[in-house]
Amino acid sequence: MTREYLVGETSVLLAQLQAAATDDVRAHEVALLRREAEDTPPAALGTVAARALRVADTLCRDSLDRGDAQAFSRQCACAADLLQFCTCAQLIHEG
Amino acid sequence: MAAEPEEQENQLSEAQIAVHWREEETYPPPDSLIGQANAADPAIIERFGEDHFPDCFTEYADLLTWDTPWDTVLDTSRPPFWKWFVGGRLNASYNCVDRHLATSRNKAAFIWVPEPEDQATQTITYQELYRKVNEFAALLQDYCGLATGDRITFHLPMVPELPVAMLACARLGVIHSEVFGGFSGTACGDRIADSGSRILITMDSYYRGGTLVDHKVKADEAIEAARKLGQEVDKVLVWRRTPGQYASKSPMVEGRDVFVDEILGDYRGKSVPPVSMPAEAPLFLMYSSGTTGRPKGCEHSTGGYLSYVAGTSKYHLDIHPEDTYWCAADIGWITGHSYIVYGPLLLGTTSVLYEGVPVYPDAGRCWRIAERLGVNIFHTAPTTIRMLRKVGPEEPRKYDYQFKVMTTVGEPIEPEVWRWYYQEVGKGRAAIVDTWWLTETGGFLGTTLPALQPMKPGSCGPGALGIHPVIYDEDRNTVEAGSGRAGNICIRNPWPGVLQTIWGQPERFVDVYYRKYCADPDSKDWHDWPFLCGDGAVQAADGYYRILGRIDDVINVAGHRLGTKEIESAALTVEEIAEAAAVPAVDEIRGRVPELYVALKPGLRAGPDIEQKVTAAIEREIGKIARPARVWIVPDMPKTRSGKIMRRVIAGISNFTDVGDISTLANPEIVDEIRHFVQGDKLAKGEVPRELSPQEAEEIRNFGKTE
Repeated sequence: MTREYLVGETSVLLAQLQAAATDDVRAHEVALLRREAEDTPPAALGTVAARALRVADTLCRDSLDRGDAQAFSRQCACAADLLQFCTCAQLIHEG
Repeated sequence: MAAEPEEQENQLSEAQIAVHWREEETYPPPDSLIGQANAADPAIIERFGEDHFPDCFTEYADLLTWDTPWDTVLDTSRPPFWKWFVGGRLNASYNCVDRHLATSRNKAAFIWVPEPEDQATQTITYQELYRKVNEFAALLQDYCGLATGDRITFHLPMVPELPVAMLACARLGVIHSEVFGGFSGTACGDRIADSGSRILITMDSYYRGGTLVDHKVKADEAIEAARKLGQEVDKVLVWRRTPGQYASKSPMVEGRDVFVDEILGDYRGKSVPPVSMPAEAPLFLMYSSGTTGRPKGCEHSTGGYLSYVAGTSKYHLDIHPEDTYWCAADIGWITGHSYIVYGPLLLGTTSVLYEGVPVYPDAGRCWRIAERLGVNIFHTAPTTIRMLRKVGPEEPRKYDYQFKVMTTVGEPIEPEVWRWYYQEVGKGRAAIVDTWWLTETGGFLGTTLPALQPMKPGSCGPGALGIHPVIYDEDRNTVEAGSGRAGNICIRNPWPGVLQTIWGQPERFVDVYYRKYCADPDSKDWHDWPFLCGDGAVQAADGYYRILGRIDDVINVAGHRLGTKEIESAALTVEEIAEAAAVPAVDEIRGRVPELYVALKPGLRAGPDIEQKVTAAIEREIGKIARPARVWIVPDMPKTRSGKIMRRVIAGISNFTDVGDISTLANPEIVDEIRHFVQGDKLAKGEVPRELSPQEAEEIRNFGKTE
């Protein structure tokens, strides 16, 4: 069962990240990752999560560079949720 | 010096299966539980012993109310399409709702807790549930024109309207298919198309993590995705989270979309007689995630499934009618169907539904709910337990609740996390019921009886009542308990909760779950048809199982179990790569090594730089152990007409063995092209493998069949 739960939660968290993206290209990238998470066997979910966290990192840095504090704060919150879930689900390892 | 072949084979075999883990101490059942448990007499274990199979399961079926009694407990005439309680007729909705009215009319069936703490909790009594189910069934019948055997898709969050809709369908004999509310519209559309649903039920919005999420927008995506796959949706029923207030930005489509709260009044007070269904009639479809190609809709029966979830809820979860039970999962998963909706309602208990995130707005939310509602059975997953522990390790101490049973479901739990759950959440006084099972199995496969069997951190327990597991190695030899060796865990016997088939794909059903260990495909004897669960496991000397995770598409490289999908996913991080498929190649030293086939995006040219990038990506994402022996850049992959890559074909090419039947491929001509390229290169470099043993050849032939 949890395989399904991990896929589902990752999908939800990627939807949140997609909504927080301020750049269409990055938003599309997250949308593709979400689709991949929904279609990929859970064994590969960890790499999808790791790639999503890298995109989240880029989103945050871009917002910071632009001085867009509101977007930065929203994206950081999404990235933190994603990181926390993926760590607890053992999709990625802390550190 | 090289080892002799036989010695080397033994070494490899041991390396592949050796598992190093410390045997944990056991914890006895709490005294307070023993006196009141549904399964308090050890004789129950004997009653469900193999000598009493299959008749033992009539004890579960007797928990239900049947319109017509069954004449055959188990029909095995068409293996592995087992039929349980043949000749019996019943209705799921009647069993979950109507039959409790005489004694428990005004008792809470559900207590719904909205995520915002300032919104009121909603209690739905069995009488109210009866009214809601009947009125909605009348709407489905009249407004939607649904009839017995039709399919309907729900894309609903954790709201009371979801169980109401499920039970309304069950009342009519309509097959429901709930898609997890958090999934994208596209994922929902794929499932609509596969099930052939022409009605979609959704909701405008729901709360998650403090945000009101626009949900209706996904319905439009879903319908478009289903249309692309050839399935039209005629009607979309939209519940509004707050009746009269539409919270979505997605416009309603005239003639297709309708607000349920605007038309439901037309059916006020209507009653719909429950349709008496054959025991083997499908009750619902539950799609499993993460499969390539066509979605996999697990079809669950009415009589067998309901019997199994009623029995396991009673004996393993120890649910009594007077309990307040909270399974903090989502109804969108099989856990929610079996152990939020059907199991607890069949036993006439009170079940809590929670809309949102367990740690919102803070780490104490779950424990506040438990304290306020008097929850005494708590059910959740290790991922959530880890999260609760991380954000509030001492939070449970602040709240005055007392659980008698706590369940953990779905994945192995580390002993350290188990002990926190036991000491902090359970306050050292609750039994932990660790459960192992799958979407396909309907209910628990491996677990304990909380008042009779001790708990062991990290192990789910022995087989559930009436379930007889076995661990096989790749050559169908039984891996003995206490050997310390791992293998593929299977269930030797049929049981009433097992899926009936994969919706519309009976051959895939046989291939995925039964082909690997079937002793004789012509046999009518159930003993010859063990069910492959798809997990690796070890059995301790005391009979307890420790589940090690999925075995799907694993390549054993010198004892390391590498998931092919993990390797492929890593390869896909390289921008130039469009598709990737990893297959095992037999290797004299390491047993198996991965070879990777990749196809490039249009307009790009193959070159060693891309091969190096792929290898580097795999090393970065997974580690050096996963480094492919060869990266083959091919013009296209051999695929079925539905787009599934046929890994057994390329595995055959890599190992110079028969590629099998390629008549069903969409592009059979590519096979010769790849063979010429790959085998020509290997021949030129002197890399032709030795002739494979019959077992190795079979492994290669069967590679990828578990997808």
